[in-house]
Amino acid sequence: MCPAETTRLNFAVDATHFSRFHSGSDAPIWWGIIGLILIEMSVVAAFVISYFYLVMINPSWPPIGHPASELLWPTASVVILLMSCVTMYLASKAINRDRITAFVTHTSISVVLACAVLVIRWQQFQTFDFRWDEHVYGSLVWTISGFHFLHVVSAAIGTAVVATLGALKFFNSKQRIAIVVDTMYWNFVGLAWIPFYLVLYIVPRLT
Amino acid sequence: MRQKNRNSASFISTARRAWPDGCALTACCLWSGVTEAQRSASQSALQPASTQAQGIELLWWIMLWSGVVIFLAVMALLIWALWSGRQRESPLSLTASKNLVLTAGVAIPALTLVILVGGSLFLGRSVASAPPPDAMQVRITGWMWWWEIEYLDSAGNITATTANEMHVPVGRPVAVELASGDVIHSFWVPQLQGKTDMVPGKVNSSWFVATEAGEYRGQCAEFCGLQHALMAFVVVARPEAEFDAWLAHQAEPAAAPVTAATQQGRDVFEQSCGHCHRVRGTDATGNIGPDLTHIASRRTLAAATLVNNRGHLAGWIGDPQRIKPGNAMPRSLLTPQELHNLLTYLETLE
Amino acid sequence: MKTQAIYDQNPEATDLLSRTWRSPPGFFGWFTHVNQSRIGYRFIVTSVIFFALAGVLALVMRLQLISPENTLLGADFYNQLFTMHGTTMMFFFAVPAMEGLGIYLVPLMIGTRDMSFPRLNAFGYYVYLIAGISLYVALFMGMAPAAGWFSYVPLANIAFSPGKGMDLWTTMITFIEISALAAAVELIVTILKQRAPGMTLNRMPLFVWSILVMSFMILFAMPTVMAGSVLLALDRAFDMQFFVAAGGGDALLWQHLFWFFGHPEVYIIMVPALGIVSTVITTFTQKPVFGYTALVLSLVATGFVSFGLWVHHMFTTGLPHLGLSFFTAASAMIAIPSGIQIFCWIASLWGARIRFATPMLFVLGFFAIFVIGGLTGVMVASIPFDSQVHDSYFVVAHFHYVLIGGAVFPFFAGLYYWYPKMTGRLMSERLGRWSFALIFAGTNLTFFPMHQLGLQGMPRRVYTYLSDMGWGELNFAITIAAFILAIGFLLTLINAVVSRTRGVAAGNNPWQAETLEWATTSPPQNYNFRHLPIVHSRTPLWDEPDSSHRQVVAGLRADRRELLITTLLEAKPQSVLIMPHPSVWPFLLALAVGFGFLGFMFQPLLFVAGFALSFFMIVGWLWPRKPWLDTGET
Repeated sequence: MCPAETTRLNFAVDATHFSRFHSGSDAPIWWGIIGLILIEMSVVAAFVISYFYLVMINPSWPPIGHPASELLWPTASVVILLMSCVTMYLASKAINRDRITAFVTHTSISVVLACAVLVIRWQQFQTFDFRWDEHVYGSLVWTISGFHFLHVVSAAIGTAVVATLGALKFFNSKQRIAIVVDTMYWNFVGLAWIPFYLVLYIVPRLT
Repeated sequence: MRQKNRNSASFISTARRAWPDGCALTACCLWSGVTEAQRSASQSALQPASTQAQGIELLWWIMLWSGVVIFLAVMALLIWALWSGRQRESPLSLTASKNLVLTAGVAIPALTLVILVGGSLFLGRSVASAPPPDAMQVRITGWMWWWEIEYLDSAGNITATTANEMHVPVGRPVAVELASGDVIHSFWVPQLQGKTDMVPGKVNSSWFVATEAGEYRGQCAEFCGLQHALMAFVVVARPEAEFDAWLAHQAEPAAAPVTAATQQGRDVFEQSCGHCHRVRGTDATGNIGPDLTHIASRRTLAAATLVNNRGHLAGWIGDPQRIKPGNAMPRSLLTPQELHNLLTYLETLE
Repeated sequence: MKTQAIYDQNPEATDLLSRTWRSPPGFFGWFTHVNQSRIGYRFIVTSVIFFALAGVLALVMRLQLISPENTLLGADFYNQLFTMHGTTMMFFFAVPAMEGLGIYLVPLMIGTRDMSFPRLNAFGYYVYLIAGISLYVALFMGMAPAAGWFSYVPLANIAFSPGKGMDLWTTMITFIEISALAAAVELIVTILKQRAPGMTLNRMPLFVWSILVMSFMILFAMPTVMAGSVLLALDRAFDMQFFVAAGGGDALLWQHLFWFFGHPEVYIIMVPALGIVSTVITTFTQKPVFGYTALVLSLVATGFVSFGLWVHHMFTTGLPHLGLSFFTAASAMIAIPSGIQIFCWIASLWGARIRFATPMLFVLGFFAIFVIGGLTGVMVASIPFDSQVHDSYFVVAHFHYVLIGGAVFPFFAGLYYWYPKMTGRLMSERLGRWSFALIFAGTNLTFFPMHQLGLQGMPRRVYTYLSDMGWGELNFAITIAAFILAIGFLLTLINAVVSRTRGVAAGNNPWQAETLEWATTSPPQNYNFRHLPIVHSRTPLWDEPDSSHRQVVAGLRADRRELLITTLLEAKPQSVLIMPHPSVWPFLLALAVGFGFLGFMFQPLLFVAGFALSFFMIVGWLWPRKPWLDTGET
């Protein structure tokens, strides 16, 4: 391009002083995570709808000889996961104010809470009185449990990395989009347990 | 290599097409060819022989001609549109464009669709309705790759069992219960009724009234694995009295062998075939393959793949895997004498 | 002044900009490319190769069917061939081809430098490539899946398909969906957040709209088939009972899951094609297409309604008639948005001075073929009629009319249209016209007689038929016609290869089109635009033909990958986004995920290993760069 031509260029927008930092819906990654969550929600919906479809075509649900599971520990998982969403919220608040220590503390608590849920779920797996290959009820319970378990593992590992990077001072109130999207995903994983909890533990009591 | 010289069954041999060889490719040729085709036994949905299939055929012609009119109209408009700009640019006004889109793109299709959907639902209701209470009950089970056909009495008991060949009385409703023993198959006799799937774990139903005596070919219409292509059967519609005689005969056990050869043939059958096949009235009680109590009365072998004659039967027993690779029947290891006796015996199972 | 030099308004910054956006050269460099034009081009080329492969499979099948009781192919190999033909055309050609066009063109059409997530883009490509190669390796080893592209259970379940072919199908379908979903997400984000200043939503080119609608459809349709194929894989690997009637499962559940994806899939392929039609008509009539809003709303309506049609693939499964009736009505309803679009285009063509170049010819061919496919589509929406033609050659004819007319013709129109942008050279008009004529004739000669075969009772997916069925003559004619069709496609392929070096130089805007991709060089530089454009209407290039007078953006740095973020509806400049560099991590991640998925077929624990391996790749990929911390100066 010859300089003579470029001098006549009509610069109508000057981006020189635009912010290079994003912390919300101005960041593509924020929308990307929304997309990921929509995809995962479609998968969750596919599982839940398949569950109800199979409840509908089976005469007895759960199959005879397999009473519905007890509620105490699954309910505890719901409460703990919701608590972890609160600690993640507090972690976001902390990084907004550049309080690195508080941030690392709260994310670490979240990871610990997630690990607690994983331990509880693992214990639950031991107490399932049916195998996955006996009946579709077992297949569903094991698959949905496994699906959610894997997600909690991913979220916990991801957040552990974020906490570590936070401790290494990679984040501050301006550079925190990674934390924003990690929190969004965390909330999804936490809240996704509610529909699963309902179909796995409440629906068998109603049918 | 499958044998190339196999004669096919009589019920299809008359079904030569009327259109010119290999060149019937314009729309006119094609569709008129269909109407001119001989009304003979075939697998064509356009030669209906039941009230149900006739209704569907009528629907097809109505839809075809509406479709032709719509297609020609759209193409005419398109060509007109292209033509109108050849001399000088003469675009439609905004209003004219709007009117074109609203009329041709919305109003006309909407109206046509309402009529077509309404008509189709109306017809569909009658085709899919429950069979009348006096209908004859037949239970058909799809297997890889053959059809088990059981006739039921009014109490639901099996009166006769056959395979790959179904006889029905003309003029009397026939209700079929459709089940599957392995994968999904689909019951389809185009001249009598549209298809209904046979889904494992489910019992579907369909019914029809054959209006003309004749032989109608049916074929599996859901991909069911290796030999899906060779899973056919034949429906024979005949006057009620003939049908009743046929059914009564099919309900009887097999005729007892009288000659030494047929007695030996029965022994061979009981030892070598009886684990999978049943011949009622003998010790052969297998239920893996088709019931062969009246095999000699059937028109075809191997699910309407071969004409039923002694030569084909010998070829089939000798090496079923050559004719229909992958089917459940193993090669037999009979001596020539045993095979001879077996064939002689089977030929007596009228 | 040193700081000034690094901004892109500086005439001297061109070299710096080129260096910053450079794709590393060399064999190893190839695995690190992330620029959208590179990745988009790869998607297009790869999908065309898969199209050719699937076409060859179709020809081999036609040779088997040329005469009754032919013994050229065995039943098992024939079944593998049609399974692979369908799977390839749907998953490895149609969707990636449309995504490829979207990836290549969307950033150019909306005036930005790259996609939102360039590394994800690259990752999606490798995933696609690995999935496709694995399936074809299996085919050449004679162990490809053979249960049809729809993989109905129980046939596809372990009891009836014990081989590894089906395992490969379930895992590779999950795999290719990951690629499609990745592309969908970033196309959506790119379109929503990176449009040129002034490109409000209602100034967006129709092709971009169609890609946006397609991407949203992928987002909601593909997860269902992923879930379904995961359940099938679990049934196969661990004896789970989802689709086993004896264990309380249900064979029809698979059909619901598959077709809830499978029907939108058809429109996922067609919607971008409709966008191409609008684009080509606009350019070759040299005036804005009539009914922009109606066209956009029709695309959106098609997208929505297509999710309510899936049961019309299950009309013969014995579901209650009343429930099915709803799907007849819904299926017929989709004819209305199609009608609106057809007549908007006819209104646009009316009285225009049309340039009948090859892209326009393909669009005109689209009209004829697509209308026939649409009309037979309305027919098969009728439950009683469908009960006769379902799974017969009538349906084969119907959907080839829809897919070839509704997707392949527009795709070829798009190839001829955008080829000069992608390569800098025009394709041969003469060869193009011949190719069009052969494809048009070949399509009709091949598929029209199939309507009749279906009505005569010929079922689909049969490797042979008895000579007394009377289907021989038509099948013979169809096989000959299929070769005419193939020669037509081959001519375009030759045209594309030869014109790459011998074509006439295209210049920036050979068709005098109006959208932004024609404002930059052909082929575009890695940074797409020397200066990011600003738009004020739907037809920026027609408004201001003189490129030096167009308004542009200043103030993006040339020493790192920067692009402009704008607001979602109004496209007001909002901030500047710093893009990642080329990287090998996406390739490594694709390998790790591929290892997990393929390993799962042999030993479920390898999936866990793949999962763990992937985690390291992701951390490597996303590791924040230290220099990034120092950018706080602005």
